[in-house]
Amino acid sequence: MTVITGVGTAIGGVARPADLLLTTTPGGEDPITGLSGRGLRYKDRATKLALCAGRDALTDAGLLLDPGLAVPGESIGVVVSSNFGNVDTVCATVSTIAEHGYGATSPMMLPATASNVTASWLAISFGLRGVNLTLCNGPTSGLDAVYWAGMMIDAGRARRMLVVGVEPVNEVVTHLVGPLFDGAAALVLESEEAARERGAGSLARLGRYARRETHDEAVGHVLEQAGPVGLWCLPEQPPTAEETAGAATHDLTALLGRCSGALGVVQCVAGASWLSAGGEGAVLASVNASDAAAATVLTPAPTTAGTGR
Amino acid sequence: MVAVCGVGAVASAGVDVEEIFASLCGGWGAAAEPRGFDLSKYRTKLAFEIDDRPEEGGDVPLRSSRWLEHVVEVAARDAGLGEDLRDVPILVGTTLRELRSVELSWRDGIAFDTDELHFGTALRRRFNASQTFTVANACAASLYALALGTDLLNAGAADAVIVAGVDNISESTYGLLDRCYSDPPDALRPFDKGRRGMLQGEGAAAVVLRRASQATSGKVYGLVRSVAVNCDAYHPSAPDAKSIALAVRQAHERAGLTPGDIDLLLLHGTGTPLNDEAEARSLGEVFGEVRPSPWMTAIKSMTGHTAGASGLHSLLVALESMRTGVVPPVVGVTDVMDEMAGLRLVRDRAVRAAVRFAQVNAFGFGGLNAVAVVEKAADR
Repeated sequence: MTVITGVGTAIGGVARPADLLLTTTPGGEDPITGLSGRGLRYKDRATKLALCAGRDALTDAGLLLDPGLAVPGESIGVVVSSNFGNVDTVCATVSTIAEHGYGATSPMMLPATASNVTASWLAISFGLRGVNLTLCNGPTSGLDAVYWAGMMIDAGRARRMLVVGVEPVNEVVTHLVGPLFDGAAALVLESEEAARERGAGSLARLGRYARRETHDEAVGHVLEQAGPVGLWCLPEQPPTAEETAGAATHDLTALLGRCSGALGVVQCVAGASWLSAGGEGAVLASVNASDAAAATVLTPAPTTAGTGR
Repeated sequence: MVAVCGVGAVASAGVDVEEIFASLCGGWGAAAEPRGFDLSKYRTKLAFEIDDRPEEGGDVPLRSSRWLEHVVEVAARDAGLGEDLRDVPILVGTTLRELRSVELSWRDGIAFDTDELHFGTALRRRFNASQTFTVANACAASLYALALGTDLLNAGAADAVIVAGVDNISESTYGLLDRCYSDPPDALRPFDKGRRGMLQGEGAAAVVLRRASQATSGKVYGLVRSVAVNCDAYHPSAPDAKSIALAVRQAHERAGLTPGDIDLLLLHGTGTPLNDEAEARSLGEVFGEVRPSPWMTAIKSMTGHTAGASGLHSLLVALESMRTGVVPPVVGVTDVMDEMAGLRLVRDRAVRAAVRFAQVNAFGFGGLNAVAVVEKAADR
């Protein structure tokens, strides 16, 4: 069994993860303001957002010391979900070459042409030497990333995983897909045993996941073994009230705009915050896309003495 | 343990696994002028492209998606899975997804639907597949995806899994590589003292995996004993020999083997100064005591660097070497690096060798390391 032991966000107007449960965002300063460290000039916006959210989630989980980590770097893996994270570098490069030739490009940007650049910087910045994955899997990618994080722990490849969902807004993204969410959400998933060993409290437990042809099939599969749904974090095209059957719902797309590859992680961070604040029942998160639908269940954290937060 | 029950591949060196292997053994794979870009803008004029563009005009979108569909179809048919893959998870390792199509949309206004940026859309349309995952793990991607595929089978989450790798050449990577070379390479020379860098290739590969205990009928090309993965957490592009050596040792340990058990290494061997140095140092660290050393080879001097597909391309070559008893050479190496002294790198001509266990390396930007150990299929 795996549990969520930390959450973080880097979203304008969302001061803390629990604010994802509100119905409006007040607006606020750019979340990457104040980010420091080497090589910022050559990091794309998605990477900067991910570093902020990742730092906050690791800190929340009690894993980040100043400096260093509270556990061996080999024990922590990374999964990043993003569909548009590095399209700015790719397109700016071909534009620069077309206008001014290859000599006008910077060789420092080469690694950012590969879509794993954000996961790479998370690993380097925090010393995370475990399995390192980048899922670019369309709108379901965030829930898929959370699933693979759990799978990596169950398979014994890591004891804990930092999961980050991120999408940036820039000229290229707007050209490709129009208005999009600009921000990152992050969570730390950990085996129950590993969390217990270091005395870490948990916010929620990760339950079933499915990726299926239809939304109904995916939701049906994950709810087979779940208790009553206390909160349903809705997909981008929300189901009808009849379909949600009276469950309390929360529409993060209405709050933040289309989140694409970040949505599933944003949903899980919101769900974990809701459960840790005493929400009763299970949290259902679902995403519906043209190629498939995905769904995930979160349940209340195991209650053991000394883990209260 | 996991069995490879179906295979498919395409690269500049051939239209299927057999033809690619024959090209490599014959020393025929060669680079040519790329046709997708305006070459007057670049110093480098060589790549290992698949020549499938229309006769006239510039580049076209969705070439990777087409190759992927092709190799998945071939591998699935080979394993008796047919064309309806709704219950079969498909993991696709890639460095660049359909980012070349994005470039063409952005710069040239060529229509492109961003739903096609990940490969699930094409795989759903073609095969009804819905458990699809695009794993963008740079040039280690297809072996990383292999690790995930074996984990799925070992967890009992599926009875058959398809693992694939695919990449075509994006102009942003071609241009930035050109920017990085001090002197553009005239060939890709892995482990040569005079190596000047990597030349890009393109292609796709796919394997169908089943738990070995369930692969009792039909073809078995070989067994995947282990796949180890890690991350250097050190530098966005420069590799770390120590971290590579850790991944190699972990792969051996997971396979229940020692360095002396390995008969053949398919090296990553990109021909870049930094990769080959780090890889050679890791070899010295792990295999330094093994005499004679295992046979070692690398495919990229004749396929180019097929990026996200390269790990699986190498793995399929390893399985062919096991089946045929022939190990293809690296070509174009005249002055081998000192770090490779005492290691049996196959050069210029194929050698005959009995291979039971092979190790396959794939490394990627961001310090990604993936190392697989495969075993020859039992005769039956």
